[in-house]
Amino acid sequence: MNITNMLKKTLGFRSNVDAQASAVRGAQSLSTFYYLRHKKEAVIGMAIIAVFVVWSVIEGSLQLIGSYLRKPSLGWLLLPHNPISSPNVATSLLPPSPAYPFGTNFEGQDILSRLLYAAPKDAIAAFAVVVSAVIIGALFGIVAGYYGGWVDEILMRVTDAFLAIPGLILAIAFSILIGPGFNSVLISLTIIWWPVYARLFRGQTLTLKYRGFVEISRLFGVSEIRVLFKHILMNAIDPIIAYMALDFGTVILTYSTLAFLGIGVQPPYPEWGSMASDGLSFFPRAWWYTFFPSITILLIVIGFILFGDSFQDVISGRVVD
Amino acid sequence: MKRMQSNFIFFVIRRIINALVTLVLLVLLVFVLIHVILPTPQAMAKVYIGSQHYTAAELNSVIDRYGLNQPLYVQFFNYVVDVFTGNFGLDSLYKVPEMQLLDRFIPITLEFVLIATALQVVIGVFAGGFAALWRGQVPDWIIKVLYLIAWAAPVFLLATLMQFAFAYDLKLLPALNMANPVLVPPKPITGYPLIDAAIEGDWAYFDSLLTHMILPVVSIAVAGFGLTTRIMRNSAVEVFDKDYVRLAYMKGLSNGKVLFGTVFRNALIPIVTLTAIQFGFAVSGAVVIEDVFLYKGMGFFLYQSVTSMDYVAIIATTIIVGISVIIANFAADLLYAVVDPRVKLE
Repeated sequence: MNITNMLKKTLGFRSNVDAQASAVRGAQSLSTFYYLRHKKEAVIGMAIIAVFVVWSVIEGSLQLIGSYLRKPSLGWLLLPHNPISSPNVATSLLPPSPAYPFGTNFEGQDILSRLLYAAPKDAIAAFAVVVSAVIIGALFGIVAGYYGGWVDEILMRVTDAFLAIPGLILAIAFSILIGPGFNSVLISLTIIWWPVYARLFRGQTLTLKYRGFVEISRLFGVSEIRVLFKHILMNAIDPIIAYMALDFGTVILTYSTLAFLGIGVQPPYPEWGSMASDGLSFFPRAWWYTFFPSITILLIVIGFILFGDSFQDVISGRVVD
Repeated sequence: MKRMQSNFIFFVIRRIINALVTLVLLVLLVFVLIHVILPTPQAMAKVYIGSQHYTAAELNSVIDRYGLNQPLYVQFFNYVVDVFTGNFGLDSLYKVPEMQLLDRFIPITLEFVLIATALQVVIGVFAGGFAALWRGQVPDWIIKVLYLIAWAAPVFLLATLMQFAFAYDLKLLPALNMANPVLVPPKPITGYPLIDAAIEGDWAYFDSLLTHMILPVVSIAVAGFGLTTRIMRNSAVEVFDKDYVRLAYMKGLSNGKVLFGTVFRNALIPIVTLTAIQFGFAVSGAVVIEDVFLYKGMGFFLYQSVTSMDYVAIIATTIIVGISVIIANFAADLLYAVVDPRVKLE
């Protein structure tokens, strides 16, 4: 029996370390939620997010089934009015009333129905962009941080170049070049979003790579992929999850701003940002036209910020109550 | 002392090289993406023509003129040279060199974005310092609510609310345009409207420019002050725990004296770097703000280019904005090294 094997035996290395790590992680995430439940801001944030997500799932699946069965009317089964009805002069620009709680737009469509109808697209955008950005960012960031040297230098200069241009302007350029449509906005948002995560993961990797458990695993010949995935990624992810929670809101904000500038989902399909921008021509007379879509965006983003903010507080150990 | 100086020179040189590499990479990035999206010379030529109606001869002449048939590395080299000499090609809509248009629009935006960034930093620093002084109490909480709302609000909501309140309802300030359209603008000398009006002594126009600038500037500042406030608050809270602050209190100094004399000076250091980042956000915000207020600067030009699918203009604007942000970051790095002696000049 050589010395390495003996060490392994006495430490019970493989199973034990992994089990310990996951037990600690389990306890951490449990206590995180315990704390969050007792923070008022976090509860408000989670409530807003829950309503938004549940509604998006219901409405989104109705729209999906509707388009699959070629019965688009299924998409507004639960809505008070048809959100994409043909223009109707009689109901054009009506102020808020019991029949139209948020008023109507120039085409005579109900603004509340249009807001609800557009929700799933925003949820998809936020989820798709943040998750793909995290995956790409984790890949580049961990590789750069772990291997260092010229790999690191090149990757970090590339992220610098991306970060040099204000995100919104870069997203405008990309989505115009790729062409109109929802998917092109998702792609361009992902292109501008990953560098931040690459930076975050790199920073985390740098602090982790010389820690005891990583060095021991390397010493025992644990494969590189496993070290990177199990020990670096899994331990780096906590602060990044908090940042992600905040970021869902930021993506929705940027996505709406792009829609405001006329980039993304094409008419007649509603989009919060484009509704607000359409309303500007009738502002301030038909104030509800711009006001309600903007307020909806504000509310959803606040939900994510409140949640992400308290989450960050808990994780960084600044919890007082 | 001499050692410090030579270190500082090395630091500056290193930063300059860094900035230049980032710049070239930025151009490479734009170049690669254009070529991924438009892989053939024909597709590129269509973009330069900028309309759906063209003959085969026109297409070929554009391919020749811009050298779109050459190997990619030659094209890239030419592209870099063109960018650094300010040659972005002809605007596909106005049919004049792109740089001529940007020369007109950039100073207008730069002027009000710089003022907005400065205002935003001032608001953020004071709000953050104030919140730190009252940490954990009602004022801290109120400031947090305010900046979270400002942070989460879409820029166009802030802008339209301001417009509604101060222009349409209270009728205190003009709602649209850069200046009163009845007045004759002064001849452009520097390109910066405020400076031109001041040079020519056209105070009526100067006054009109200022009053028209207030709402856009305040909108951008409000949209951006959240991040500064947050970072200033946290950095000031950290400073409040330091021994030298306790010493200042023990010397019997008042709250205000400690805040302005001791805490601000130390807590302000991260704000230097942040200001460069905020400048970038302000430029983004300008695209929306200029659209709402019909403020005819670079953002408005970009918005128009988007609606008319003017690719040449969009790419040129993107690169120019990138360059200005890189310069801002470079300046912030240098300033940072000057104000914080603890920075390692490596």
